[in-house]
Amino acid sequence: MGNLIEHIGIERERIHFSWISSAEATKFVDVVKDITEKVRALGPNEKFKKIYN
Amino acid sequence: MDTYTEKIRSIAGSLLKEGKVDRVIGYKKGSIPMATNPFAARTVEQARELVFNSTCVMNLANYITDSSETIAVAAKGCDSRNIVTHIVENKIKRDQVYIIGVPCSGMVDKRRIIEEFGSDLTEFSENGDEISVKSLDKEEVLKKQDYLRDCCTTCIKPNPVVYDELAGELVPEPEVKNRFASVEKIEAMDPDEKYQYFTDLTADCIRCYACRNACPICYCPTCFVDESGPQWVGKGQNETDIQTFHFLRAFHCAGRCTDCGACEEACPMGIKVREFTKKLNKDTSELFGWDAGLDQTKRPPLDTYSPEDPDDFIK
Amino acid sequence: MPDKDIKIVSFLCNWCSYGAADLAGVSRLEYPADIRVIRIPCSGRMSPKFVLSAFREGADAVWVSG
Repeated sequence: MGNLIEHIGIERERIHFSWISSAEATKFVDVVKDITEKVRALGPNEKFKKIYN
Repeated sequence: MDTYTEKIRSIAGSLLKEGKVDRVIGYKKGSIPMATNPFAARTVEQARELVFNSTCVMNLANYITDSSETIAVAAKGCDSRNIVTHIVENKIKRDQVYIIGVPCSGMVDKRRIIEEFGSDLTEFSENGDEISVKSLDKEEVLKKQDYLRDCCTTCIKPNPVVYDELAGELVPEPEVKNRFASVEKIEAMDPDEKYQYFTDLTADCIRCYACRNACPICYCPTCFVDESGPQWVGKGQNETDIQTFHFLRAFHCAGRCTDCGACEEACPMGIKVREFTKKLNKDTSELFGWDAGLDQTKRPPLDTYSPEDPDDFIK
Repeated sequence: MPDKDIKIVSFLCNWCSYGAADLAGVSRLEYPADIRVIRIPCSGRMSPKFVLSAFREGADAVWVSG
Protein backbone atom coordinates (compact mmCIF):
# COMPACT_ATOMS: atom_id res chain seq x y z
CA MET A 1 0.00 0.00 0.00
CA GLY A 2 2.72 2.41 1.05
CA ASN A 3 4.66 1.60 -2.08
CA LEU A 4 1.80 2.33 -4.42
CA ILE A 5 0.88 5.51 -2.53
CA GLU A 6 4.45 6.60 -3.05
CA HIS A 7 4.30 5.56 -6.67
CA ILE A 8 1.49 7.95 -7.46
CA GLY A 9 3.37 10.76 -5.83
CA ILE A 10 2.20 11.05 -2.24
CA GLU A 11 5.21 11.26 0.04
CA ARG A 12 6.06 8.00 1.79
CA GLU A 13 6.12 9.75 5.16
CA ARG A 14 2.44 10.48 4.91
CA ILE A 15 1.41 6.96 5.63
CA HIS A 16 2.46 5.16 8.79
CA PHE A 17 1.92 1.71 10.18
CA SER A 18 2.66 0.66 13.70
CA TRP A 19 1.96 -2.04 16.21
CA ILE A 20 1.24 -0.99 19.77
CA SER A 21 -0.18 -3.19 22.50
CA SER A 22 -2.86 -1.76 24.78
CA ALA A 23 -0.34 -1.67 27.65
CA GLU A 24 2.20 0.40 25.77
CA ALA A 25 0.96 3.91 26.48
CA THR A 26 4.48 5.30 26.37
CA LYS A 27 5.17 3.74 23.00
CA PHE A 28 1.91 5.22 21.77
CA VAL A 29 3.02 8.66 22.87
CA ASP A 30 6.43 8.20 21.26
CA VAL A 31 4.93 7.10 17.97
CA VAL A 32 2.45 9.96 17.92
CA LYS A 33 5.24 12.44 18.56
CA ASP A 34 7.41 10.87 15.90
CA ILE A 35 4.68 10.85 13.26
CA THR A 36 3.54 14.37 14.04
CA GLU A 37 7.08 15.64 13.73
CA LYS A 38 7.59 13.97 10.37
CA VAL A 39 4.30 15.16 8.96
CA ARG A 40 4.82 18.68 10.23
CA ALA A 41 8.12 18.72 8.40
CA LEU A 42 6.28 17.82 5.21
CA GLY A 43 3.56 20.39 5.73
CA PRO A 44 -0.06 20.10 4.63
CA ASN A 45 -0.97 17.68 1.87
CA GLU A 46 -2.33 19.15 -1.33
CA LYS A 47 -2.37 16.02 -3.45
CA PHE A 48 -5.22 13.64 -3.97
CA LYS A 49 -7.57 16.05 -2.24
CA LYS A 50 -11.05 16.13 -3.66
CA ILE A 51 -12.21 19.54 -4.70
CA TYR A 52 -15.96 19.80 -4.56
CA ASN A 53 -17.55 22.21 -6.92
CA MET B 1 0.63 -17.73 -35.60
CA ASP B 2 -2.34 -18.14 -37.90
CA THR B 3 -1.18 -21.71 -38.43
CA TYR B 4 -2.78 -22.46 -35.08
CA THR B 5 -6.21 -21.68 -36.47
CA GLU B 6 -6.70 -25.03 -38.21
CA LYS B 7 -5.44 -26.96 -35.23
CA ILE B 8 -7.68 -25.08 -32.80
CA ARG B 9 -10.66 -25.65 -35.08
CA SER B 10 -10.03 -29.38 -35.30
CA ILE B 11 -9.49 -29.77 -31.56
CA ALA B 12 -12.58 -27.70 -30.83
CA GLY B 13 -14.60 -29.59 -33.40
CA SER B 14 -13.75 -33.00 -31.98
CA LEU B 15 -14.28 -31.86 -28.38
CA LEU B 16 -17.74 -30.58 -29.20
CA LYS B 17 -18.58 -33.60 -31.33
CA GLU B 18 -17.63 -36.04 -28.59
CA GLY B 19 -19.56 -33.93 -26.11
CA LYS B 20 -16.54 -33.54 -23.86
CA VAL B 21 -17.19 -29.84 -23.43
CA ASP B 22 -20.25 -27.62 -23.60
CA ARG B 23 -18.53 -24.72 -25.27
CA VAL B 24 -15.18 -23.76 -26.68
CA ILE B 25 -14.02 -20.25 -26.03
CA GLY B 26 -11.74 -18.77 -28.64
CA TYR B 27 -11.62 -15.87 -31.03
CA LYS B 28 -13.71 -15.05 -34.05
CA LYS B 29 -12.80 -12.76 -36.87
CA GLY B 30 -14.01 -9.23 -36.20
CA SER B 31 -15.80 -6.98 -38.63
CA ILE B 32 -12.77 -4.80 -39.38
CA PRO B 33 -9.12 -5.69 -40.06
CA MET B 34 -7.00 -6.33 -36.97
CA ALA B 35 -10.01 -7.10 -34.85
CA THR B 36 -10.88 -10.41 -33.25
CA ASN B 37 -13.72 -10.95 -30.85
CA PRO B 38 -13.91 -13.44 -28.03
CA PHE B 39 -16.31 -16.12 -29.17
CA ALA B 40 -17.93 -19.16 -27.61
CA ALA B 41 -18.53 -22.02 -30.01
CA ARG B 42 -21.26 -24.40 -28.94
CA THR B 43 -21.65 -26.50 -32.08
CA VAL B 44 -19.27 -28.15 -34.50
CA GLU B 45 -20.33 -25.67 -37.16
CA GLN B 46 -19.52 -22.74 -34.93
CA ALA B 47 -16.13 -24.24 -34.16
CA ARG B 48 -15.18 -23.63 -37.79
CA GLU B 49 -15.44 -19.91 -37.15
CA LEU B 50 -12.65 -19.94 -34.58
CA VAL B 51 -9.44 -18.17 -35.55
CA PHE B 52 -6.12 -17.37 -33.98
CA ASN B 53 -3.65 -14.74 -35.08
CA SER B 54 -1.53 -11.91 -33.74
CA THR B 55 -4.48 -9.70 -32.93
CA CYS B 56 -6.08 -12.00 -30.36
CA VAL B 57 -5.39 -9.60 -27.54
CA MET B 58 -8.27 -10.04 -25.14
CA ASN B 59 -7.94 -12.42 -22.22
CA LEU B 60 -10.24 -15.41 -22.54
CA ALA B 61 -9.92 -16.41 -18.90
CA ASN B 62 -12.47 -13.65 -18.38
CA TYR B 63 -15.26 -15.82 -19.75
CA ILE B 64 -14.94 -19.01 -17.77
CA THR B 65 -15.91 -17.99 -14.26
CA ASP B 66 -19.05 -18.91 -12.33
CA SER B 67 -20.18 -21.58 -14.70
CA SER B 68 -21.29 -25.13 -14.16
CA GLU B 69 -20.51 -26.07 -17.74
CA THR B 70 -17.39 -27.76 -18.97
CA ILE B 71 -15.47 -25.26 -20.98
CA ALA B 72 -12.58 -25.52 -23.38
CA VAL B 73 -10.41 -22.44 -23.77
CA ALA B 74 -7.79 -21.57 -26.33
CA ALA B 75 -5.25 -20.14 -23.92
CA LYS B 76 -2.08 -18.20 -24.56
CA GLY B 77 0.57 -17.96 -21.85
CA CYS B 78 -1.13 -15.09 -20.04
CA ASP B 79 -4.60 -16.60 -20.38
CA SER B 80 -3.39 -19.85 -18.89
CA ARG B 81 -1.88 -18.02 -15.94
CA ASN B 82 -5.20 -16.33 -15.36
CA ILE B 83 -6.96 -19.68 -15.55
CA VAL B 84 -4.59 -20.88 -12.83
CA THR B 85 -5.52 -17.83 -10.76
CA HIS B 86 -9.20 -18.69 -11.22
CA ILE B 87 -8.58 -22.26 -10.15
CA VAL B 88 -6.71 -21.06 -7.05
CA GLU B 89 -9.49 -18.64 -6.22
CA ASN B 90 -12.17 -21.31 -6.71
CA LYS B 91 -13.84 -19.56 -9.60
CA ILE B 92 -13.72 -22.75 -11.63
CA LYS B 93 -12.61 -26.32 -11.05
CA ARG B 94 -9.62 -27.71 -12.88
CA ASP B 95 -11.60 -30.63 -14.30
CA GLN B 96 -14.16 -28.20 -15.65
CA VAL B 97 -11.72 -26.56 -18.03
CA TYR B 98 -10.10 -28.16 -21.00
CA ILE B 99 -7.17 -25.97 -21.87
CA ILE B 100 -6.07 -25.83 -25.48
CA GLY B 101 -2.60 -24.41 -25.02
CA VAL B 102 -1.51 -21.91 -27.62
CA PRO B 103 2.20 -21.07 -27.52
CA CYS B 104 2.30 -17.37 -28.23
CA SER B 105 4.88 -15.29 -30.04
CA GLY B 106 3.37 -12.00 -28.99
CA MET B 107 0.49 -9.86 -30.12
CA VAL B 108 0.70 -6.87 -32.41
CA ASP B 109 0.18 -3.41 -30.99
CA LYS B 110 -2.88 -2.21 -32.83
CA ARG B 111 -2.57 1.33 -31.54
CA ARG B 112 0.88 1.77 -33.05
CA ILE B 113 -0.21 0.37 -36.37
CA ILE B 114 -3.18 2.74 -36.46
CA GLU B 115 -0.92 5.62 -35.48
CA GLU B 116 1.34 4.93 -38.43
CA PHE B 117 -1.20 3.88 -40.99
CA GLY B 118 -4.23 5.91 -40.05
CA SER B 119 -7.39 4.39 -38.73
CA ASP B 120 -8.65 3.22 -42.12
CA LEU B 121 -6.99 -0.16 -42.24
CA THR B 122 -8.20 -2.25 -45.11
CA GLU B 123 -6.18 -5.39 -44.74
CA PHE B 124 -4.02 -7.14 -42.22
CA SER B 125 -2.33 -10.45 -42.63
CA GLU B 126 0.65 -12.24 -41.24
CA ASN B 127 3.14 -14.76 -42.41
CA GLY B 128 5.47 -16.14 -39.81
CA ASP B 129 7.50 -13.25 -38.45
CA GLU B 130 6.13 -10.76 -40.89
CA ILE B 131 2.94 -8.80 -40.90
CA SER B 132 1.56 -6.93 -43.85
CA VAL B 133 -0.67 -3.99 -43.28
CA LYS B 134 -2.65 -2.11 -45.86
CA SER B 135 -4.51 1.10 -45.26
CA LEU B 136 -6.08 3.68 -47.56
CA ASP B 137 -2.80 5.61 -47.50
CA LYS B 138 -0.10 3.00 -47.73
CA GLU B 139 0.85 -0.63 -47.75
CA GLU B 140 3.83 -2.12 -45.97
CA VAL B 141 5.32 -5.37 -44.81
CA LEU B 142 6.67 -5.08 -41.29
CA LYS B 143 8.57 -7.23 -38.89
CA LYS B 144 6.19 -8.42 -36.23
CA GLN B 145 8.92 -8.34 -33.61
CA ASP B 146 9.15 -4.55 -33.90
CA TYR B 147 5.44 -4.02 -33.45
CA LEU B 148 4.70 -6.13 -30.40
CA ARG B 149 2.57 -4.80 -27.59
CA ASP B 150 4.52 -3.44 -24.66
CA CYS B 151 3.32 -6.19 -22.33
CA CYS B 152 4.34 -8.84 -24.87
CA THR B 153 7.91 -7.55 -25.01
CA THR B 154 8.23 -8.11 -21.27
CA CYS B 155 6.33 -11.40 -21.20
CA ILE B 156 7.93 -14.15 -19.12
CA LYS B 157 5.62 -17.01 -20.04
CA PRO B 158 4.64 -17.10 -23.72
CA ASN B 159 3.92 -20.81 -23.39
CA PRO B 160 0.83 -21.87 -21.48
CA VAL B 161 1.74 -22.93 -17.93
CA VAL B 162 -0.98 -25.55 -17.88
CA TYR B 163 -2.71 -27.26 -20.78
CA ASP B 164 -4.48 -30.43 -21.81
CA GLU B 165 -3.54 -30.26 -25.44
CA LEU B 166 -1.27 -28.03 -27.49
CA ALA B 167 -2.22 -26.27 -30.67
CA GLY B 168 1.39 -26.01 -31.81
CA GLU B 169 5.02 -26.43 -30.92
CA LEU B 170 6.15 -24.71 -27.73
CA VAL B 171 8.04 -21.51 -28.43
CA PRO B 172 11.41 -20.82 -26.80
CA GLU B 173 11.13 -18.96 -23.49
CA PRO B 174 12.42 -15.45 -24.02
CA GLU B 175 15.04 -13.87 -21.86
CA VAL B 176 13.62 -10.64 -20.63
CA LYS B 177 16.39 -8.37 -19.47
CA ASN B 178 14.51 -5.92 -17.34
CA ARG B 179 10.78 -6.25 -17.44
CA PHE B 180 10.22 -3.43 -14.97
CA ALA B 181 12.16 -0.73 -16.78
CA SER B 182 9.05 1.42 -17.18
CA VAL B 183 8.36 1.21 -13.45
CA GLU B 184 11.90 2.15 -12.54
CA LYS B 185 11.65 5.25 -14.65
CA ILE B 186 8.75 6.46 -12.54
CA GLU B 187 10.36 5.39 -9.29
CA ALA B 188 13.26 7.68 -10.04
CA MET B 189 10.98 10.74 -10.13
CA ASP B 190 10.41 12.93 -7.10
CA PRO B 191 6.95 12.94 -5.47
CA ASP B 192 5.69 16.04 -7.27
CA GLU B 193 6.76 14.72 -10.65
CA LYS B 194 5.14 11.39 -9.92
CA TYR B 195 1.91 13.01 -8.90
CA GLN B 196 1.91 15.14 -12.03
CA TYR B 197 2.68 12.08 -14.12
CA PHE B 198 -0.26 10.13 -12.76
CA THR B 199 -2.58 13.10 -12.93
CA ASP B 200 -1.75 13.49 -16.60
CA LEU B 201 -1.92 9.75 -17.18
CA THR B 202 -5.47 9.41 -15.90
CA ALA B 203 -6.73 12.81 -17.04
CA ASP B 204 -8.39 11.36 -20.15
CA CYS B 205 -10.27 8.65 -18.28
CA ILE B 206 -13.98 8.69 -19.06
CA ARG B 207 -14.84 6.14 -16.36
CA CYS B 208 -16.27 3.62 -18.78
CA TYR B 209 -14.78 0.75 -16.73
CA ALA B 210 -13.77 -1.10 -19.89
CA CYS B 211 -10.45 -1.93 -18.21
CA ARG B 212 -12.29 -3.50 -15.32
CA ASN B 213 -14.62 -5.48 -17.55
CA ALA B 214 -11.82 -6.74 -19.77
CA CYS B 215 -9.82 -7.88 -16.78
CA PRO B 216 -10.18 -11.58 -15.98
CA ILE B 217 -9.44 -11.09 -12.30
CA CYS B 218 -11.99 -8.31 -11.79
CA TYR B 219 -14.96 -10.50 -11.01
CA CYS B 220 -16.45 -9.09 -7.78
CA PRO B 221 -20.25 -9.30 -7.88
CA THR B 222 -20.40 -5.68 -6.76
CA CYS B 223 -17.41 -3.62 -7.74
CA PHE B 224 -16.28 -0.98 -5.26
CA VAL B 225 -17.09 1.72 -7.78
CA ASP B 226 -20.72 0.61 -7.84
CA GLU B 227 -21.12 0.54 -4.08
CA SER B 228 -23.35 3.33 -2.91
CA GLY B 229 -23.49 2.94 0.83
CA PRO B 230 -20.85 3.91 1.78
CA GLN B 231 -19.72 5.36 -1.49
CA TRP B 232 -15.96 4.99 -1.65
CA VAL B 233 -15.44 6.72 -4.92
CA GLY B 234 -17.56 9.37 -6.61
CA LYS B 235 -19.01 8.55 -9.97
CA GLY B 236 -18.18 11.75 -11.77
CA GLN B 237 -15.22 13.02 -13.72
CA ASN B 238 -13.60 14.53 -10.65
CA GLU B 239 -9.85 14.15 -10.88
CA THR B 240 -9.49 12.63 -7.43
CA ASP B 241 -12.29 10.16 -8.06
CA ILE B 242 -10.63 9.03 -11.26
CA GLN B 243 -7.35 8.56 -9.46
CA THR B 244 -9.05 6.70 -6.64
CA PHE B 245 -10.64 4.35 -9.11
CA HIS B 246 -7.36 3.60 -10.86
CA PHE B 247 -5.49 3.23 -7.61
CA LEU B 248 -7.95 0.81 -6.06
CA ARG B 249 -8.50 -1.14 -9.25
CA ALA B 250 -4.79 -1.72 -9.46
CA PHE B 251 -4.51 -2.55 -5.80
CA HIS B 252 -7.13 -5.27 -6.10
CA CYS B 253 -4.95 -6.86 -8.76
CA ALA B 254 -1.84 -6.95 -6.60
CA GLY B 255 -0.21 -10.34 -6.85
CA ARG B 256 -2.91 -11.56 -9.22
CA CYS B 257 -2.24 -9.55 -12.36
CA THR B 258 -0.46 -11.47 -15.10
CA ASP B 259 0.22 -8.38 -17.16
CA CYS B 260 -1.83 -9.70 -20.07
CA GLY B 261 -2.55 -6.17 -21.28
CA ALA B 262 -6.28 -6.67 -21.81
CA CYS B 263 -7.05 -3.55 -19.76
CA GLU B 264 -4.91 -1.32 -21.91
CA GLU B 265 -6.27 -2.91 -25.04
CA ALA B 266 -9.83 -2.27 -23.94
CA CYS B 267 -9.27 1.36 -22.99
CA PRO B 268 -10.95 3.60 -25.55
CA MET B 269 -8.86 6.57 -24.47
CA GLY B 270 -5.50 4.85 -24.71
CA ILE B 271 -4.60 5.27 -21.04
CA LYS B 272 -1.64 3.23 -19.93
CA VAL B 273 -3.50 1.49 -17.14
CA ARG B 274 -0.74 -1.06 -16.79
CA GLU B 275 1.57 1.54 -15.25
CA PHE B 276 -0.22 0.94 -11.95
CA THR B 277 -0.44 -2.82 -12.00
CA LYS B 278 3.09 -3.15 -13.26
CA LYS B 279 4.38 -1.43 -10.15
CA LEU B 280 2.49 -3.91 -7.98
CA ASN B 281 3.82 -6.79 -10.03
CA LYS B 282 7.30 -5.50 -9.36
CA ASP B 283 6.59 -5.20 -5.65
CA THR B 284 5.15 -8.68 -5.27
CA SER B 285 7.99 -10.09 -7.27
CA GLU B 286 10.57 -8.31 -5.10
CA LEU B 287 8.89 -8.66 -1.71
CA PHE B 288 7.41 -12.12 -2.04
CA GLY B 289 9.26 -13.62 -5.01
CA TRP B 290 5.88 -14.08 -6.57
CA ASP B 291 4.53 -13.99 -10.09
CA ALA B 292 0.85 -14.60 -10.52
CA GLY B 293 -0.64 -17.74 -12.00
CA LEU B 294 2.33 -20.05 -12.04
CA ASP B 295 1.36 -22.41 -9.25
CA GLN B 296 -2.01 -24.08 -8.78
CA THR B 297 -1.36 -24.83 -5.12
CA LYS B 298 -0.41 -21.41 -3.78
CA ARG B 299 -2.65 -18.51 -2.92
CA PRO B 300 -1.60 -14.97 -3.86
CA PRO B 301 0.73 -13.35 -1.29
CA LEU B 302 -1.70 -10.65 -0.17
CA ASP B 303 -4.20 -13.38 0.49
CA THR B 304 -2.17 -15.34 2.97
CA TYR B 305 -0.10 -14.73 6.02
CA SER B 306 3.33 -16.09 6.65
CA PRO B 307 5.67 -15.16 9.51
CA GLU B 308 8.31 -14.51 6.86
CA ASP B 309 6.29 -11.72 5.27
CA PRO B 310 8.28 -8.48 5.15
CA ASP B 311 7.19 -6.22 8.00
CA ASP B 312 9.88 -3.57 8.33
CA PHE B 313 7.37 -0.88 7.38
CA ILE B 314 5.65 -1.40 10.76
CA LYS B 315 7.04 0.52 13.65
CA MET C 1 2.65 24.79 20.03
CA PRO C 2 1.75 23.67 16.48
CA ASP C 3 3.14 26.02 13.86
CA LYS C 4 1.05 24.49 11.13
CA ASP C 5 -2.35 23.00 11.43
CA ILE C 6 -2.12 19.41 10.30
CA LYS C 7 -4.49 16.48 10.46
CA ILE C 8 -3.30 12.95 10.89
CA VAL C 9 -6.13 10.49 10.46
CA SER C 10 -5.40 7.56 12.73
CA PHE C 11 -7.04 4.21 12.41
CA LEU C 12 -6.57 2.51 15.76
CA CYS C 13 -7.45 -1.06 16.58
CA ASN C 14 -9.97 -1.23 19.41
CA TRP C 15 -7.95 -3.83 21.32
CA CYS C 16 -4.43 -2.54 20.82
CA SER C 17 -3.62 1.04 19.99
CA TYR C 18 -6.98 2.39 21.03
CA GLY C 19 -6.38 0.81 24.40
CA ALA C 20 -2.92 2.32 24.45
CA ALA C 21 -4.36 5.74 23.64
CA ASP C 22 -6.84 5.30 26.46
CA LEU C 23 -4.08 4.29 28.85
CA ALA C 24 -2.00 7.25 27.74
CA GLY C 25 -4.99 9.38 28.59
CA VAL C 26 -5.59 8.01 32.07
CA SER C 27 -1.85 8.11 32.74
CA ARG C 28 -1.94 11.81 31.83
CA LEU C 29 0.82 11.47 29.27
CA GLU C 30 1.05 14.40 26.90
CA TYR C 31 1.16 13.98 23.16
CA PRO C 32 0.56 16.20 20.11
CA ALA C 33 -3.09 16.85 19.39
CA ASP C 34 -2.82 16.61 15.62
CA ILE C 35 -4.17 13.12 15.40
CA ARG C 36 -7.82 12.39 14.68
CA VAL C 37 -8.65 8.97 15.98
CA ILE C 38 -10.98 6.58 14.22
CA ARG C 39 -11.60 3.43 16.18
CA ILE C 40 -11.82 0.28 14.12
CA PRO C 41 -12.90 -3.05 15.61
CA CYS C 42 -9.66 -4.73 14.56
CA SER C 43 -6.74 -3.83 12.31
CA GLY C 44 -8.17 -6.44 9.97
CA ARG C 45 -11.05 -4.05 9.32
CA MET C 46 -8.59 -1.73 7.61
CA SER C 47 -8.93 -1.29 3.89
CA PRO C 48 -7.05 0.70 1.27
CA LYS C 49 -10.35 2.45 0.61
CA PHE C 50 -10.16 4.08 4.04
CA VAL C 51 -6.72 5.47 3.37
CA LEU C 52 -7.69 6.96 0.04
CA SER C 53 -10.91 8.29 1.53
CA ALA C 54 -8.93 10.03 4.25
CA PHE C 55 -6.56 11.66 1.77
CA ARG C 56 -9.45 12.61 -0.46
CA GLU C 57 -11.22 14.39 2.36
CA GLY C 58 -8.13 16.36 3.18
CA ALA C 59 -5.98 14.36 5.56
CA ASP C 60 -2.33 15.31 5.68
CA ALA C 61 -1.24 11.88 6.74
CA VAL C 62 -2.72 8.51 7.62
CA TRP C 63 -1.63 6.30 10.46
CA VAL C 64 -2.72 2.72 10.82
CA SER C 65 -1.96 1.08 14.10
CA GLY C 66 -2.75 -2.37 15.44
